[in-house]
Amino acid sequence: MKKLVLDVQGQVAPVCSRSHITYRFPLGERVRKLTIHFAYEPKNMDDKDQAKALIMDSIAKYTEPEHAERVQAKWESFLPLKNLITVSVDDPVSHRGAGHRHDPEQVLVIAEAEASPGFVQGPMPAGLWDVTLSMHAVVTDSCRYTLQIWGEE
Amino acid sequence: MPWIACELHTHTFHSDGRQTLRELAAGAKALGFECIALTDHNTMTGLQDKETIEREAGLAIVSGMEWTTFYGHMVTLGVTTYEDWRPVGPGDIHRGIARVHAGGGIAGMAHPFRIGSPICTGCFWEFDISDWNDIDYIEVWSGTFPSIKTDNARAFRLWTDKLNEGCRIAATSGRDWHSQERTEEPVAVTYLNMDEGAGTVTERAVRALAAGRASLTIGPLVTMEAVCGSGSFVIGDAVPAAELAEGRCTIHVHADFSVRRGLWSFPEQTYTVHVTGNNGVAAEGTVTADRPDCRVEVQAEGLRWLRAELWGTVRGVRALIAVTNAIYFNR
Repeated sequence: MKKLVLDVQGQVAPVCSRSHITYRFPLGERVRKLTIHFAYEPKNMDDKDQAKALIMDSIAKYTEPEHAERVQAKWESFLPLKNLITVSVDDPVSHRGAGHRHDPEQVLVIAEAEASPGFVQGPMPAGLWDVTLSMHAVVTDSCRYTLQIWGEE
Repeated sequence: MPWIACELHTHTFHSDGRQTLRELAAGAKALGFECIALTDHNTMTGLQDKETIEREAGLAIVSGMEWTTFYGHMVTLGVTTYEDWRPVGPGDIHRGIARVHAGGGIAGMAHPFRIGSPICTGCFWEFDISDWNDIDYIEVWSGTFPSIKTDNARAFRLWTDKLNEGCRIAATSGRDWHSQERTEEPVAVTYLNMDEGAGTVTERAVRALAAGRASLTIGPLVTMEAVCGSGSFVIGDAVPAAELAEGRCTIHVHADFSVRRGLWSFPEQTYTVHVTGNNGVAAEGTVTADRPDCRVEVQAEGLRWLRAELWGTVRGVRALIAVTNAIYFNR
């Protein structure tokens, strides 16, 4: 039977870019499979003016001055700007993988005999597990997420 | 020692690639690669069927991971277990590199000048580097037809600057290959001069790159030999000061046009060879497909390193076609 072991929702802002949020939760002795449902929205920055300002700043910061104008002329090729939050997992003993991908809604499985791509199958030790959300980029004024984790015996 | 055609920067669906390792290996084999490094973002689980796929595809797979951090992307090769990228802040990369080295791996800067966040998160290298000798290599060519791209040209200049400062740092290409989409652009290859000593292909590839035994190209494989005094030296070697008493060396550059036959072609032409070092272009020569050897003399005085560059016309553009890693000169 599936049993909910963690159920949280949160909201992050652009200032949270380049930070991690870790949820630490206990897992019982008999759990053999975890299912993680993670979703965040919005994915894209829809406000084109706001996006243009960020793109122009980014080009000015990261390209050499003699190329900046040429790159800025094609700023629309960098649309849409996106939020990117990735999930990684650690059990009480070892790292259990990461899903560095762009999908804003993910269902991830970690179990003794199977695991979603990027994650590590194997023994499911009881104790405190970590699920870490890594905010690679939050571009929208706010970005809401939900994280639900189910354990199965 | 054989030169092995390698693609050193790839991804599968274990991170954000849109291909399996099997599809990647088959695609690489079809393009004439003999070896690929799997460098998925922040995970190594894509390597779980490595041996089976190596046998099926007839190509070697080097284990690796791309640390996809907030302050830069760092490709690591030769690591066999996951090393955690998450605790590494902007001033901490040397501690991260120390863990990679302790695990038998090497670390390189991936596409260090690609536009960064939020356009491409963490893609521009922003980590503080206090000791450049800690950096094993710089991916100076990223993507296809890389030598004409301005952010690669900037990475290439960074590599040259570091060689001029006395660092013995290798240069690589990497497609940052995410899917099996066809490209009409020239594909770059990093040839590694792998020894035939003990260990796995991963270990031999790491040894080759750590020693700078690498040559990059979008066409012919260019190799270089320096004859100084009584000794003969190849890419990655350091010429002892005692061999420089005569004040000059003969440099032999060879372009092997037979590599990856049928998988690339350029207009028939006379290619320019630049033998370049810390004092700029030390000597110039030419090669053609029919006359693939070039011998030039260089003055040894003040010389700290030399590399060979092959220039020619590709897709109507005058471009750097191939470049070797350096031969170093002890002073």
